[in-house]
Amino acid sequence: MKTVAVTATLVGKEQPLSTGELARACGAEEAWVLQLVRVGIIEASGRQADWCFDSAALRQALAARDLQRDFDASLDAAALILDMSNEIRRLRARLRVLGLDADGR
Amino acid sequence: MEFKDYYATLGVEQGASDDDIRHAYRKLARKYHPDVSKEPDAEQRMRDVNEAYQVLKDPEKRTAYDNLAAGVSSGGDFRPPPDWDSGFEFRGASPHDDAAFSEFFSSLFGARHRPGGAQMRARGEDHHAAIEIDLEDALHGATRDISLRSIGHDENGQPRLQTRTLSVRIPAGIREGQFIRLAGQGMPGLGGGENGDLYLEVRLKPHPRYRVEGRDLYMDLPVAPWEAALGATVRAPTPHGPVEVGVPANSRNGRKLRLKGKGIPGDPAGDFYLVLEIAWPPADTEKAKAAYRHLAQEVPFDPRRNLGD
Repeated sequence: MKTVAVTATLVGKEQPLSTGELARACGAEEAWVLQLVRVGIIEASGRQADWCFDSAALRQALAARDLQRDFDASLDAAALILDMSNEIRRLRARLRVLGLDADGR
Repeated sequence: MEFKDYYATLGVEQGASDDDIRHAYRKLARKYHPDVSKEPDAEQRMRDVNEAYQVLKDPEKRTAYDNLAAGVSSGGDFRPPPDWDSGFEFRGASPHDDAAFSEFFSSLFGARHRPGGAQMRARGEDHHAAIEIDLEDALHGATRDISLRSIGHDENGQPRLQTRTLSVRIPAGIREGQFIRLAGQGMPGLGGGENGDLYLEVRLKPHPRYRVEGRDLYMDLPVAPWEAALGATVRAPTPHGPVEVGVPANSRNGRKLRLKGKGIPGDPAGDFYLVLEIAWPPADTEKAKAAYRHLAQEVPFDPRRNLGD
């Protein structure tokens, strides 16, 4: 089997995604990305005409897409669920640093 | 190939209504949600559930599936499935993620996802996968081969699984949850359209010694009681090689010593924290017992003085 060497870029400050690229990565329309920004699920940098998105925005957008698809969640509900989910992850990471898991062991 | 009982996967009867199927799916999607589930195989289970739902929620696919199922005797002529878990993972299950699904699914429904007509020109869809890397790769950068399976077509236009291996350079300083984008490695375009891109979500394998929070690293550093009490210079291993660190006198258990900029590289670089863990010598020899007794006699110390009464 042949191995293909490919150019990899890190989605971040230096090579961010445009509105169109973020929409495409989620299989969605640009208008949907606009809604995500308005609701506050993702943050954009730059002017609206050439918004830039980082890895965190892509992760949030994919998660919002899943919540809409799996549960018919409204974007406002998805925003709340994602806020709570991020808080849980942050707290779990804190626990891990302290050498504990979520069940206090 | 294994025949997949999609009704059993969702836990519904064969005659279940669309509503029943949707409710069953949502319950399972909650049960196996990565933030909630405690089941070790939650991710695989979720993939199975997604695959079943993709078929049963779609009237056309469901009918095709039912027809096929009617002709299958249990223990029939299906070959065992390939190992779907090795080396790669796909998440989610929109039509963009069909490659996450089983050979059974691909061979039945793979062809239907390609809009027909050679005149149509369209960009290929973007794909998503996860890549698990070692902490050392994030610290120093690395080149890793990843194997991906996707649905392609043979010379007769029949859908079939293809495996390809990509050699991916992982930049130093990458963090958990960041995405690596591989241009042109998603679904092929149609009618001369561009290929889609492939996004790899980075996951860090748990490290036996270091704990990671963002760009910061934590490690427990065992010290003897006299080192913590009197202060000492001790040698500690770090990912950047061993260092000599000064333990300040009167250090308590859990005290954090920071090595600035010695975490995961970046702008700003993360820090490396040594968490002091005072290890007590066991009183298992006469000499050790005598030393503890001597300490007890010579040093007035009541660890329970703040408990009252």
